[in-house]
Amino acid sequence: MNFMMSTDDTMTRSTPDLLPGTLDLLILRTLQKDALHGWAISERIQQISGDVLQINQGSLYPALHRLEHQHWIEAEWAVSELGRRAKYYKLTAAGRRQLAIETRAWERMSQAIGRVIKLA
Amino acid sequence: MNLRDWKLRLRALFSPHRVERELDDELSFHIERDAQQLIDQGMDPREARLTAQARFGSKTLAADECRDQRGTALVENTIRDVSYALRTSARSPLASFTIVATVGLGLGLVTVLFSVLNIFLFRIDIVPDIDEMFVVERPRDANDEWQRFTRSQFDAMARETSVFAGLFAEVSNIDTRVDGRMMAVTLVGGNAFQVMGVRPAMGRTLLPADDDRSAPQPVVVLSDRGWERRFGRDPDVLGRAIIVNGAPHEVVGVMPAGFRGLSVSAPDLWAPLSSLAEFRPIDPGRDDRVGIVGRLKPGMTAGVARAQLDAWESQSAGAAADQRTTRIVLVPRRGTVPQPIEALVVFSPLFFSFGLILMIGCANVANLLLARGMSRQREIGIRLSLGASRARIVRQLLTESLLLALAAAAVGYFVSRLAIEGTLAALLPSIPPDLGNINIAAPPADWHVAVFLIAGAVISTAFFGLMPALQATRIEPARTIRGELIKDARPGRARAVLIGLQVAASALLLICSAVFLRSAFASATVDPGIRTADTVVIEIVNEPKRAAMVAAVAADPTIAAMAAAWPDLLGRPRGALAQTPKAKATVAYKMVGPEYFGVLDIPIVRGRNFADHERAAAIVIVSETVARTLFPASDAIGQVMQLEADPNSPTRRDDEPPLPSRSFTVVGVARDVPGFRMADFREAGVYVPTSTDTPKTSLIARVKGDPGLARQHLLERLTIVDPNMGQIFTMRTMARMEIYFLQIAFWVTLVLGTLALALTVSGLFSVLSYLVEQRTKEIGVRIALGATSRNVTRLVLSQTARPVAFGLLAGAGLALALATLLIALPAAGAIAEVVKVTDPVAYLGSMLLIIAACLLAAAIPAGRAARLDPMRTLRQD
Repeated sequence: MNFMMSTDDTMTRSTPDLLPGTLDLLILRTLQKDALHGWAISERIQQISGDVLQINQGSLYPALHRLEHQHWIEAEWAVSELGRRAKYYKLTAAGRRQLAIETRAWERMSQAIGRVIKLA
Repeated sequence: MNLRDWKLRLRALFSPHRVERELDDELSFHIERDAQQLIDQGMDPREARLTAQARFGSKTLAADECRDQRGTALVENTIRDVSYALRTSARSPLASFTIVATVGLGLGLVTVLFSVLNIFLFRIDIVPDIDEMFVVERPRDANDEWQRFTRSQFDAMARETSVFAGLFAEVSNIDTRVDGRMMAVTLVGGNAFQVMGVRPAMGRTLLPADDDRSAPQPVVVLSDRGWERRFGRDPDVLGRAIIVNGAPHEVVGVMPAGFRGLSVSAPDLWAPLSSLAEFRPIDPGRDDRVGIVGRLKPGMTAGVARAQLDAWESQSAGAAADQRTTRIVLVPRRGTVPQPIEALVVFSPLFFSFGLILMIGCANVANLLLARGMSRQREIGIRLSLGASRARIVRQLLTESLLLALAAAAVGYFVSRLAIEGTLAALLPSIPPDLGNINIAAPPADWHVAVFLIAGAVISTAFFGLMPALQATRIEPARTIRGELIKDARPGRARAVLIGLQVAASALLLICSAVFLRSAFASATVDPGIRTADTVVIEIVNEPKRAAMVAAVAADPTIAAMAAAWPDLLGRPRGALAQTPKAKATVAYKMVGPEYFGVLDIPIVRGRNFADHERAAAIVIVSETVARTLFPASDAIGQVMQLEADPNSPTRRDDEPPLPSRSFTVVGVARDVPGFRMADFREAGVYVPTSTDTPKTSLIARVKGDPGLARQHLLERLTIVDPNMGQIFTMRTMARMEIYFLQIAFWVTLVLGTLALALTVSGLFSVLSYLVEQRTKEIGVRIALGATSRNVTRLVLSQTARPVAFGLLAGAGLALALATLLIALPAAGAIAEVVKVTDPVAYLGSMLLIIAACLLAAAIPAGRAARLDPMRTLRQD
């Protein structure tokens, strides 16, 4: 039991820790253009980040459900590329506003951190 | 939380299967899509699926976390708990019934009190924007009396101040004879209904034009209550006339049910202030005083309004050269009592004693649940070992208790209605008719009562359910599954404490009831020193008709004898300063006719009575005590004393008849009259002669036959002479009042005490029976080893002796402490004089009664234990 736990731990540690709240931002940003299902969201984030950001499935789906409850994204069942029904998420109007807010906040934060790293 | 969120939550609640399937589909799809990608990259399909599954991790865990996002876990768990609790309760119907009945009884009793209190505190009148309504008052003076405004001060305030959107004067709750029966009337300015902004149910309200002495026809508006009492809700009531003290008044409107004119209970009717003279006999000292009620202008706060009124008051007081520094007080007027704290203080001892019954009931239930917890140890052990947390099981047990308590709250509602109606039915006929217009309606139950019942149920649950639930879950799962009962979990200590509490509460209540009973007996045998059986007091308040009234009374065949008296027997005698050359004392005097001593059987022990022609002479008769005080060395007869009405006496009246002289000769000494103690009646120490012609005097008469019937007869005869006449009281009623309250207190505490004792005894009985059953095997072994039946009986009795003894001492100690506290209170001095709060007989008697009852409750289980057949019990397993 202990052994299994530790392997599990090292597996998740292989990707850098996301700052709290950034997962929401990443999901909202990924859904800005098209409706995607859960797997595609994680795949796209991984691809675009050049495999740096790997989303832990254990937190992706709770996050999706949470965002849905906040009505920033909404879900729709549609036939997927596998020919099977899948749950597609898309941004709502409130989600778009939230994305703008979070993007601005992130930019301010990263600029600030950047300045501190350069000059301090 | 938004609408969408609620929709998702509701969907999760009401179609849980569909939501669960969708969640599973979504997560499965992810794994499948991941596997497909691996296959596309060239991996073997079986291996791809396994890898994808490994990468995803635990699907159950992910699903669980998704469920948490729904925020419905609490509700789902509660639903599960409730259905489980319903099944458990249904499986043991007898226990459930006992719990619901016991707690329901207790809750019902407390609710009776709350229903009454609710009227005083929370029942806000139906007046639009009632928060703008205020009474304008002055603070109380040194005698704790409200300083009321005069009519002209009201007019000035209405004219000169600008803080109110509307202001009206009122004289409230005058008892008046309307069509021959007593009704409560409130007189208001003609604009009152406009200021309140209320509409009638029928006809119209009073209008400013009605409030005018020159109005062609005096009018009244009925309240719903008055409509019911006088007209039996006759829809054809508008335009009918009612006779108020001989003058016809036209009914022009009926107000809707529930409207009470901003008072706690509605009057029977409203009339314009201009009709005051018809409704209340002229009484110059008092009559132009009015209450002032106003509606603040919108946006005006009470603080600002008060400051402006204060400024106005000091300005006009200065103009009137009145140097009193009074301040204005604005009291919200919402149809509830203005002093809620005082009401709570009055009610708190009642709540305490009624609450004791609830507490005893809860203790019984807690004991029952403790026993049930023992038998459920195995079930709980299994659930604990299957991974349920202790908190989760405690919650589930509490849900069970709460459900039962809510059922008990429903039962409590019916208990309270039954108790209220029953008490009123028993009480109302016992109230003497000459106490005036006593019209108690059963307090209605509204949503406040419902909230109170539910809150009561929750609090009771905490009291009776929490401890057993914690106790029941304090076990080791591994051992209970094997069937071992944990000895530490045996809640003997908790049980003893509960029994002790119950006995203490019963003792407290029964001691109170015994004290009241003994005091009532003592009071019933007290001789007030005057003849009360066939004495009536006839007030004459309308001076122009005095001669006719006196003549009518004198000529009436039911009157055996009569005497003039001021103040009459209902008021306290007038305070005065008496002085002789050697002594000085504060005394109380009254003016009486020579017949007074005969009518009331007060013997003249020395000297003589007033003679018939001496009704204005400067002579007095003094009581034995006053004679001793003023003339300690010599005989009082023939001595001269100075008597001067004390201007600072609290019994001073503006309109009192003056003393004929300052210097009086004592002609006689009358026996001391101890008087009543509860009723506010003291006899005078100095009697000054007077006659029935003197204004303000009342008639004290001895009647033939039953005084109640005589009173009725006199009322009928005398209203013909003067429809404006005052009241007639029988002294028999006054004498009865003395023990009436004691009797009510006795019955209330007796009912409560009996209930308390019955609950305690039944609780004790069931606990002991249960313990004997639990220890059957042990007792069997003891008997087999040679214990006699006496030993066994003692073993069982010793289980109860300590908690009962502890409870008795605690109860008696508490009663004694409360009694000491009561005596120490200055306000309770008069009560303590009548109620012997530390009567040892009452204490001992009730404690013996409780001991006997507890012995009886213990006897049956003890006897059963003593008769156990050791062979059979040992063979049992």
